[in-house]
Amino acid sequence: MHLLRQTWLLTRNDLRQELRQLELVVTAGFFTLVVLIMFALAFSTLDDEVQPRAVPGMIWLCLAFVGALTLTRVFDREREASTFAALLAAPVDRLAIYLSKLLVTLGVLLICAALLIPGLALIFPAAGITRAPMLALGVLTLLGCLGYAAVGTLFAAGLATSSGKNVLLSVVLYPLTTPVLLFALVATARLLEGHAETWSALAQFAALDAILLGVAAWLFESVLVGVGQAPAPHPTARSTAERTSR
Amino acid sequence: MDITALPESESAAPGGEAESPENVKKVEGRDPETVRLKRAYESEVEAKVASDHQHIVWAYGVIWVLFVGYGMLLWRRANAQRADLERLQKR
Amino acid sequence: MKYVPYVLLAIAALLFPYAVSQVFLHTPIEAEMGTAQKIFYFHVPLAWTTMVFGVVCGIAAGIQLRIRSERAEAIAVAAGEMVVLCGAGVLITGPIWGDATWGTPWTGDARQTSTALLWLVFVAYLLVRRYGPANSDRLAAALAIFGAVDVPIIYYAVKIWKTIHPQTTVVGSLPGSMWATLWLCVAAILPTCIALVWIRADQERSAMALDRAWIERDAAAATA
Repeated sequence: MHLLRQTWLLTRNDLRQELRQLELVVTAGFFTLVVLIMFALAFSTLDDEVQPRAVPGMIWLCLAFVGALTLTRVFDREREASTFAALLAAPVDRLAIYLSKLLVTLGVLLICAALLIPGLALIFPAAGITRAPMLALGVLTLLGCLGYAAVGTLFAAGLATSSGKNVLLSVVLYPLTTPVLLFALVATARLLEGHAETWSALAQFAALDAILLGVAAWLFESVLVGVGQAPAPHPTARSTAERTSR
Repeated sequence: MDITALPESESAAPGGEAESPENVKKVEGRDPETVRLKRAYESEVEAKVASDHQHIVWAYGVIWVLFVGYGMLLWRRANAQRADLERLQKR
Repeated sequence: MKYVPYVLLAIAALLFPYAVSQVFLHTPIEAEMGTAQKIFYFHVPLAWTTMVFGVVCGIAAGIQLRIRSERAEAIAVAAGEMVVLCGAGVLITGPIWGDATWGTPWTGDARQTSTALLWLVFVAYLLVRRYGPANSDRLAAALAIFGAVDVPIIYYAVKIWKTIHPQTTVVGSLPGSMWATLWLCVAAILPTCIALVWIRADQERSAMALDRAWIERDAAAATA
């Protein structure tokens, strides 16, 4: 399919760039380790019964922070080299751009999860991570990171301009990714408790991801109209005082 | 419970045998214990109602401030737009 | 048509004293929560208004993106501001009520959490519109759509999350006289909010028209 091939080409391009210096993976991985050590210090006194309830929060909070960090940097490269405008002008399906960035972000998140979860299993042995069904845990992590990346990539792309002021991404990202994080928290807590209905929860999660992915993909085209071009002309004959009172 | 009609009577313990003369009416619920209990309830209720009223005043106050503040914002913006339109038409 | 919002405001202004007198003088005090329950007569209509305008903003943002309508954009901005306003009211009066009744301002139940998150999404909507880069009105519209879609999801997720922990019931069933007062308060608040949104949307449209007029003036002056 045309779309898949374009996506694959763009992803391969991004991965190739990444492999030159491993910038994204190394910074994200290091951040994960730092957060892991901070959790170990901050929550060292947790009782055994409390650990299975605290660990899901730790996993998904850390992944949320790593995600915000990664998304800023995924589009940094494009912004610094002004290649984003070129990418948008190229005869490439916009959806392919979205999917390729999504896959790169997802990859980084999964690598960090692969560092985080075994690390937490070592630090909090009573949490039951080692006893949890591995396949379900893997699928859950994948679904969670996918949902997060789906929403995050859309808004990171929209906010990726040459102005360099990216405080807004954090403001936007955390409230919007909360559904994904909430579902992930519930599912992880159930998984660690050994709840019976894990797979139905995962099925619901997959449905949620499908919805979010669909909405984000549909909006990507609309959102990127005009990004990368010169900003709309502002009326010059007014003083700034009038403008700020609007 | 046998109680005398005089509230200061010390012999009015519940279930206690008071020296009740023949022509004194028995009134329920007027022994010091019950009276003290009732007064304690009343002061508790009074405190709760006062605290409730405080909360209500705060809540309604906040709502009013929010809406009036927004109204003032709209008013200021309308004035600024009118001035802007005048300047535009003047040039 | 121009005076519709002012008529609505006048009606609401007349209804308000009546509603307040009804709430405090003619509705029985609720058996379980006492006098503090009176807060609920304005808290609940505000919550309903927040939800309604959240949906309105989401739909208007969708229309704005689809057919590039300026009217839809103006309505979306106005509805977004109203969501932030009423949401702030709900989020402040809710804990006040909770503190008066149970001593706990934040119960963390599904409704409270999802209202707080909805509020944050629409605050982000307004911030992106104001401080975002060049094309942020479309991005903000995407935000509003996601916000409107997210609310039922968040509510559902927090609800199943809360079945792991014990749950507090917030509102039981109401007797008839209280329902009547509640609807009266809705009749006072909803027209006020509709009128304010109307006025704000009109302001936004004239702001956009003014912008265009100034740009044309500058362009004409530049080429002259």
